[in-house]
Amino acid sequence: MLEPKAQPADGVLRINMGPQHPATHGVISFMVETDGEIMRKATPDVGFLHRGVEKMAEITSYPGFMPYTDRVDYLASMFANHGYAMAVERLLALEVPRKAQYLRVIADELNRIASHLVATGTMAMDLGAFTPFTHWIRERESINDFMELICGARLTYNYLRVGGVCADWPVGLTEKILLWLDHFEPIIDEFNRLITGNEIFINRLANVAVIPGAMAVDWALSGPNLRASGVPFDLRRCQPYSVYPELQFDLAVGTGSRGTVGDCYDRFWVRIVEMRESCRMLRQLLAGIPEGDFKAKVGRTIKVPAGEVYSAVESARGEIGYYLVADGTDRPVRVKIRTGSFTAVALVEPISRGLMLADLVAVIGSLDIVAPEIDR
Amino acid sequence: MVSTVQAAVGQYFKNISNAVTSTFEGMAVTMSWMFRRPMTIQYPDKIEKPIEETLPDCYRGVLEVDTGICTGCMACQKACPIGCIRIKVGKNAETAERMLERFDIYVARCMFCGLCSEACPTGAIHHTSHFEIANDKLENLLLRYVPANPTPVYKPKKDVEPVTQPRGQAYLAARKHCTHAWRKEERHGDR
Amino acid sequence: MKALADILVVQLLGQDPGSWPFTWVVYAAVMLVGGALAMTFVALFAGPVTVVERRVAGRMMSRIGPNRVGPQGVIQWLADGLKCFLKEDLIPDEADHPLFRLAPYLVFAGMFGTFVVLPFGAHLVAADLNVGVLYLFAISSIVVVGILAAGWSSNSKWGLFGAFRAAAQIISYEVPSALSVLTVVLFAGTLSLQGLIREQGGMPWDWFIFRTPFTFAAFFLFFTSALAEGNRTPFDLPEAESELVAGYHTEYSGMRFLFFLFAEWANLWIMSAVAVACFLGGWNIPGVSPATIDASQGLAFWSFQAISFAVFAAKTSVLVFVVIQLRWTLPRLRVDQLLEMCWKYLVPLSFACLLGVLVWAWAVTAGSAVDLAMRLIMTCLGVAALVAYARRVRFNYVADKDNYLKMTGKELWYPPYRLP
Repeated sequence: MLEPKAQPADGVLRINMGPQHPATHGVISFMVETDGEIMRKATPDVGFLHRGVEKMAEITSYPGFMPYTDRVDYLASMFANHGYAMAVERLLALEVPRKAQYLRVIADELNRIASHLVATGTMAMDLGAFTPFTHWIRERESINDFMELICGARLTYNYLRVGGVCADWPVGLTEKILLWLDHFEPIIDEFNRLITGNEIFINRLANVAVIPGAMAVDWALSGPNLRASGVPFDLRRCQPYSVYPELQFDLAVGTGSRGTVGDCYDRFWVRIVEMRESCRMLRQLLAGIPEGDFKAKVGRTIKVPAGEVYSAVESARGEIGYYLVADGTDRPVRVKIRTGSFTAVALVEPISRGLMLADLVAVIGSLDIVAPEIDR
Repeated sequence: MVSTVQAAVGQYFKNISNAVTSTFEGMAVTMSWMFRRPMTIQYPDKIEKPIEETLPDCYRGVLEVDTGICTGCMACQKACPIGCIRIKVGKNAETAERMLERFDIYVARCMFCGLCSEACPTGAIHHTSHFEIANDKLENLLLRYVPANPTPVYKPKKDVEPVTQPRGQAYLAARKHCTHAWRKEERHGDR
Repeated sequence: MKALADILVVQLLGQDPGSWPFTWVVYAAVMLVGGALAMTFVALFAGPVTVVERRVAGRMMSRIGPNRVGPQGVIQWLADGLKCFLKEDLIPDEADHPLFRLAPYLVFAGMFGTFVVLPFGAHLVAADLNVGVLYLFAISSIVVVGILAAGWSSNSKWGLFGAFRAAAQIISYEVPSALSVLTVVLFAGTLSLQGLIREQGGMPWDWFIFRTPFTFAAFFLFFTSALAEGNRTPFDLPEAESELVAGYHTEYSGMRFLFFLFAEWANLWIMSAVAVACFLGGWNIPGVSPATIDASQGLAFWSFQAISFAVFAAKTSVLVFVVIQLRWTLPRLRVDQLLEMCWKYLVPLSFACLLGVLVWAWAVTAGSAVDLAMRLIMTCLGVAALVAYARRVRFNYVADKDNYLKMTGKELWYPPYRLP
């Protein structure tokens, strides 16, 4: 019979939240020290989902590594694909055909909507509202169906290749997506009526875990989290790549409409607005898919000349950046993947001091942390 | 002083009215869903067609090989990032033609990425629309597409169309050669 | 129940029970039978309501609920109950064994004790205590003892947190719920539930809810407080799955766990039944006065009982549906917001309602023109609120109808009576 470890008698309750817990998004563990209901410290303990993806890159060929990038963030896998493809293409100085770029960005924006659906839905579910989550999963099923028609898979797409995409745009899919967009945009309004405008929901999230803009920049936050803190930085606007310079869209920046700028409600609200902006971008993209090749001519084995490159894309969760070191062979020397959730999870500790235990769940959900991105 | 009291009282009643109206709106939304079609597909028994027929042609299901059009180039084995394809090409002693002696796909390791089917010049290795491969024996997930005797490799001839099997047939045939019966076949008969 | 027993004996056996020796034995036996019937009703309600809740929740979530066990899933609850019966009885080694075992029974007793005063029909009540309302609130407080015992004896931090929160919640919300019911007690002049119902009539303008704006507000205050007493969302923080695993019943499994849930589902009926009895006219049949029912004999008497039971059950079922719908619509309140809502909003407002009803009852006599005018105005307001709700529901449906048809080719219309 094991004796329980002697706890220091200082009135502080030490609770372990995870790694199996319904509210942590994936396999993360939080060691929480609480004084009754108020938390003193909530330290994340990561590494449970480490699969050695960056090490796999060193022993896999360049085109063979593409499916691994899917698994870095399986909810927004297209962005990981895109970042990697862009990194390799930069080192190869390869020009991607325009049609391929359009198809890439269409898939990107569809994936952004899908990822934000999960993010906002699980956030509502963690706070006790189960219905909005299932409605969002229903909409996500439509996006999964589109991706199935585009590339054959529903979650881990492996759609991009070095030089383009893997398959041409299917006939008739544009009309289907437009019909779905006509259905989806009013459904966002309905979702707002159901949960975003709900007084209880607003009270749970407003003024909770405020991250000021300066702190967000200091802690290297990126993506919707950064924009919710009032910093209008978006890689699609500030370091544009691919087709984004030609698209009209507004940045969703947190305004503190229900509380303070940078609170949990702002992070939620920014994601809803970004979904609408993605719908707007999709309509522009679908209206003008150019003719051409869907993939540049690349040999079966890709030998990348020696060099280093950092290429980043604006993922749904932040910035996914690839630091690629090549040496002229057909396998990379080093691939370092920089993800948005890794920096976001570091912020959980400082901002959760003084919050209540029930707020920790809201904080984790609002930062949109997924474990595979943290641990890779 | 008075204005802060007024503001506080105003905020108090505004909170109440916001709570009531937002609850009212939320209840109206959920009530409206009682009259809308649910999205549930009652798979696997209450569907009109077998699920494989509803999936698109490009669906990346379990891999199968039509050995009749396999040229033995091993491009798929090289392209696979995991190494779940094992091919052995030998030479027939008498006729000195290349023979496919072994073509094993370890479906337990396959991540359905599609890189092998892209690399194949003839389309011999391709994805089926089958995905129900759950099994209680790991050995059953090693699909041997050259089960018995070596078959000659395919040599494409000019202006001669190759004879291909329908999609999915080779996979179902390979399943039959597993040493232990697949659980579904034991229960439901062959599908 | 004594009245019913008297009537039964008089009508069926034709004898006057006052002339019997040891009448208390007969009355005690009848009480036990009544209690057993109430227990059966509780079980027969709490089981199937889980299936109803899951089907309703499914449709609100755009999916079908359980529909495999039995035709349309109606015996799913039996399957779940049987599964819990067959589970291993797990008691943590470090737990306080006697208290751990006792806690579910305390919760169950506290919940079930309220059923003896709940009326089901015109004379269908196990014990029509003349302090019915007081008894109701008192006995349902035993649940707090049970929850604290459960959390403490689990010897688990998660359980402790949940128990403290639940105890604070239930004790706090007793205050506004009692105050709200006091408003209607003022009108009826009796604490007995049957008395409260008899003071109302069958038609909506006779109900207490439409008597004054204060009782209208008191109904919603009572409903909210009763939701919090029953640990239903938006007040289900003690058992918040996603935050504390399962709160005070984390360490419970199998049948012991089912006892807690059983009490929660039975509480659905209790909170709705009390709201119906106090505010919505109870079992009053429109057009028939209670005096008529008292005076009737034989077949008319029993058919009045049946009809009044049907009326009561219908009204309670509507409120149970609303409780279920609220669970699947609203998010959860945090514990400090919950307590803030109770003490800063519900308690002052219910005091205000009580004062308002006091002034009204003193100033306005029942039956006067002012009284009738107010009743009519409130009824019209209530109907207008219902109509506004229906229009909003229709708006949400119509906003999606055409787009859905174009997108999928199927009709969006799929009402609840159309089962998959």
